[in-house]
Amino acid sequence: MTGSARDRAAAVLTRHGTLLLFLLIVFVFGTQAPAFIGPENLGNVIKQASFIGIAAVGMVFVLLTAGIDLSVGSVMYLGPLIAGFAMRDYGVGVAGGLVVAVAAGAVMGAINAFLIVVLKIVPFIVTLSTLFFFRGFGAYLTSSRQFDFPDEIRAFGLSSVFGVPTPILFFVAVALAAHLVLSRTAFGRQVYAIGNDEPAAAKAGIRVGRVKASVYIICSSLAALAGFILIAQIGRLDTGFGEGREFDVIAAAVLGGASLFGGFGTAFSAVIGATMIQAVKTGLVFTGTNLYLQPMLQGLIIFAAVFLDSLRASRLEMLRRRFIRPV
Amino acid sequence: MTELLSFEGLRKDYFGVPAVRDLTLGIRKGEVVGVIGENGAGKSTLMNMIGGVVAPSAGEMRWLGALYHPRSPSDATARGVAFIHQELNLFTNLTIAENIFVDDFPSRFGLIDRTAMRQRTADLLRQLALDVATETDVEKLTPGERQLVEIAKALHRDAELIIFDEPTTSLTPRETAKLFETIERLKADGKTILYISHILGDVKRLCDSVVVLRDGQLVAQEKAEGFDVPDMITAMIGRALGGLYPERSAAPSSDILFSAKGLCQPGILEDVSFDIHAGEILGLFGLMGSGRSEMARIVFGLDPLEQGELTLQGNPLSGGVRARIASGVAFVTEDRRAEGLLMDAPTVDNLSLVSIEEFGRTSLAFLDQARLEQSTEHLKTEMVIKAGDIRTQPVRALSGGNQQKVVIGKWLMRQPDLFILDEPTRGVDVGAKFEIYAIADRLAAAGSGVLFISSELEELTGMCDRIMVMNRGEVTGRFDRSDFSDRDILAMAFGKKPETNGVAA
Amino acid sequence: MNDGGLSAAHSARETPVPSMRQRAMRLFLSDFFVLYLSLAYFLVLMPFLPTLSNPANIANILSNMWPLLVVAVGQTFVLTIAGIDLSQGSVVGFTSVVGAMLLATTASPDVLSNAPIWGTIITENGGPLAGVPGGVAIAILVMVAAGALIGAANGIAIAHFQMPPFMVTLVTMIVISALAIYLTQSENIRNLPESYIQLGKGDIVSVYFGEQDESRIPRRQIHSFVTYPMLIAVTVAICAHVLLNRTVFGRQVFAIGINRKAAKISGVPVKRVIVLVFTISAICATVGAILYSTRLEAGRPTLGDGNFLLDVIGATVIGGTSLFGGKGKIIWTVFGVFFFVLLSNTLNLMNLSSFHIDMVKGTVIVAAALLDVLRTRLIQGDAL
Repeated sequence: MTGSARDRAAAVLTRHGTLLLFLLIVFVFGTQAPAFIGPENLGNVIKQASFIGIAAVGMVFVLLTAGIDLSVGSVMYLGPLIAGFAMRDYGVGVAGGLVVAVAAGAVMGAINAFLIVVLKIVPFIVTLSTLFFFRGFGAYLTSSRQFDFPDEIRAFGLSSVFGVPTPILFFVAVALAAHLVLSRTAFGRQVYAIGNDEPAAAKAGIRVGRVKASVYIICSSLAALAGFILIAQIGRLDTGFGEGREFDVIAAAVLGGASLFGGFGTAFSAVIGATMIQAVKTGLVFTGTNLYLQPMLQGLIIFAAVFLDSLRASRLEMLRRRFIRPV
Repeated sequence: MTELLSFEGLRKDYFGVPAVRDLTLGIRKGEVVGVIGENGAGKSTLMNMIGGVVAPSAGEMRWLGALYHPRSPSDATARGVAFIHQELNLFTNLTIAENIFVDDFPSRFGLIDRTAMRQRTADLLRQLALDVATETDVEKLTPGERQLVEIAKALHRDAELIIFDEPTTSLTPRETAKLFETIERLKADGKTILYISHILGDVKRLCDSVVVLRDGQLVAQEKAEGFDVPDMITAMIGRALGGLYPERSAAPSSDILFSAKGLCQPGILEDVSFDIHAGEILGLFGLMGSGRSEMARIVFGLDPLEQGELTLQGNPLSGGVRARIASGVAFVTEDRRAEGLLMDAPTVDNLSLVSIEEFGRTSLAFLDQARLEQSTEHLKTEMVIKAGDIRTQPVRALSGGNQQKVVIGKWLMRQPDLFILDEPTRGVDVGAKFEIYAIADRLAAAGSGVLFISSELEELTGMCDRIMVMNRGEVTGRFDRSDFSDRDILAMAFGKKPETNGVAA
Repeated sequence: MNDGGLSAAHSARETPVPSMRQRAMRLFLSDFFVLYLSLAYFLVLMPFLPTLSNPANIANILSNMWPLLVVAVGQTFVLTIAGIDLSQGSVVGFTSVVGAMLLATTASPDVLSNAPIWGTIITENGGPLAGVPGGVAIAILVMVAAGALIGAANGIAIAHFQMPPFMVTLVTMIVISALAIYLTQSENIRNLPESYIQLGKGDIVSVYFGEQDESRIPRRQIHSFVTYPMLIAVTVAICAHVLLNRTVFGRQVFAIGINRKAAKISGVPVKRVIVLVFTISAICATVGAILYSTRLEAGRPTLGDGNFLLDVIGATVIGGTSLFGGKGKIIWTVFGVFFFVLLSNTLNLMNLSSFHIDMVKGTVIVAAALLDVLRTRLIQGDAL
């Protein structure tokens, strides 16, 4: 009967809804502005998506444990800033700067982790306050002024390897590494276990505290890396850099299929989500949409994705309802 | 046979009150031992000591003759103790293989060695005759299959002693049968099993010997052969049946109060019909997975009903929960903590929750605080709810029995016509049980109808005017009080006979 | 529940002769703890910051407190049902624009001629309600209706489609602030009528501390204490307190926050209450918008941007309202907002720059949360 066909269609729609939405968006923009689906533009989209994308990969780790990190926007600012001082005042090279930025991010993540894991304060509040704190500290270091990086950083930011721009390389490398860690290592699988049922994970002998601390450190490190890679393309750091970006990062991760309630999502969720948001942004520019209307449309598309996700969840719940006799 | 585990003068006090005392007992290797006792008899405390969750206050435990004092659950696991709890500790978003290896993944070069993991898991599943791919997400498994995964986990850790704690509560009869086969197989492999259950028939059927605990003490250790269910009950409660239930104070009237006709819900219910008379207590008996709680939820409007008719005092019932409550239906859920109570709220707020709208003229108008407190205070006295300050003390601090009285009490304020009591005495001690039975009697005497759902057959035969039996979503038997027979009722609960006995209700 | 769960332990602790330790505990667990903390903070800093207790400064603290309080009251409702409302800031910006575009007496084409509302709603002669008798009241009604609509939309998505509040209100935040910016093309709308501005600036009781013999009192030495914003904010807070503690609706809000399933089974109209709560939250944001926008004498689409939302949530949580639901009190929010505003003020007086203020704010939020963790542990230890 059509019932089962409809069921199957509903299943496909709910399972792959986000991807279908993504394809639809590309298709619509493609018909409006054919240049949009040209390889050059698609490359550009991915390059621009790498900033939010790299940070969103880190956010997926945190969301998987049913946590949240609101401080990423400030970490994106403070991490590269500390690297900037190291480069300008201590003659550290670009590669060294990158390491310093990531290390600074890791330290910030460790501060979050300490407050969450050891002092047992809820992640939302912890990262809300470190959002203020890290940005305040950064503004203190610069006296709220713009910070100019040494020139060589732009050479790095705008470079490419075999024609592939460096930001894309980093994005791909981070996504692949994260995917490997999440799907193929004991740590990765334990992250999923904790997100599914934290008390049970503790009972099963998983070192919950250590795993949870690690995800916050990973998240902040990647946020700092994301910031550094974007700064490398611009060459300077404004005080407002990264402000409000935490919401973009979370939206990207959730849009790609990571759940805010933990246990669901992959590294590719972040890639899909970030690319999708960027594709919409670029598409709106291509089609000449009013600059101020663009965030509105983006918002509606995120809403559609979240709506699909809630349909998926209620469908899952329906399927989970126990049958005690054959239907 | 050698003793795998033995206890010598074991004792555990909580705040000076003994939960287990003077326990001297040996568990022989390779045996299936049933552990029975009422709630609070000391079963959980004993298991917690074996599992390293709590340490004994006095006495000692021995494992194969050597002193055994696990300091933590992982100590006990390392020694070879495994628990299969009623709520399974599985991660539904991981695969079967991952669940089995979750705390010690085999790894190569830092990555999980999936081949090794898959092979070992496949071995384990084969042993348990579970024919499912090792990479299946646990989410897709039935409760019975999930339990087998838990057992596979225990086998993987080379458990010698496997403790089952009420393992069949969420299984269908077929899954239960399969579990029992598995336990037989484990026994044949030389594993030792402790089997804790309230379903005494299962204990009788499955176990080699039975240990009975009462008030923290060992009162009997018998060969299962020759130790029949009534004997078990006598040993558990320390007196023969009778005197456990209040005398029914009034006979049901002949007026039909509530009727359900032809209830059908695909996968849940099939053509269920029954009536409840005013002043009647209708018992509903069935094993887990028989559809009894599911039916209660449907009658109360919580779950959808595809086909069938519900009428209360001649008026058809429709709409959702709020409409049912307005029509005079009350529902005491089986899960007090998750669905019955606001645990962090005080008694007053819990008792007034259902009828709260009667204390304010509109939902945004002032509450009549004085009348509200007076009513709840009155209810508290009437139901003998033992609580501190009912305006401030959260119900979390009350005992199980008093909590249950609060759950029932919140419905009393509206004086409903139909009461659905789903396992109202679960997790409640003997004294409070009696009081809950007395409340059910009072409700019936006042002319309400009561649908009393329970998996304890004795309380149904003790309290009900009639008993209806369900199996796999169908009514398989109906009995009048004069025809009550434990054996027949149980047989029908297992779905052995079609509906032949008794008078149609 | 009507005690928000806290005083349960408080009164259970009552013994005839409390020891020092018990007294300290009682203080620590009291509803007024954050107020005591604020007052202690004030007293400690007074010797070091002579301007702190100046009438001018106190008037300033108060005037900063009222609009934030109104918005935080709305957030308290949402947090109490275990939700969160990230869209309040955008509602503030959006409704301030709505009000201003209706009421502006004139508008400059240099600024607004690119805006889509130019020529239709607003022209050089101002908005459609400019100079209309009762125009301010009508405009406020329209603002409140717009806010309520946004809140109800949030609530419906959350209650009926089971979408997570965080994502729903995040999207609303993005969409509504974009809409506000689009409407004016990111420009402010000025030239608001005096009667509207009165709402944000008007005072009823002012105090002059200077010499009495001067014929004309210099304007800047008059300090407003009882102002319209104060009246409005206090009214909102009292109504909210009554609503939360003395009505059927309030009980149902707590019931949902503590255990949504049990509430549903007990006949609480869960969906309706959730929709109402988010509507209340947005209406509070709208009232906040009136106070902010009249004080600024402009409708500004970005009025609630940046860290505003985090201030609101931070102040509410510092007061003691739990993010996990079931535990919230308007009086806590009043103290939380007071503390937050006092803190910002003192940091300003210390001539600290905005970045220091951010750092201290962050630390204070964590410290408050840590205190709350300790308090909860003490109470739970007590209940066992």
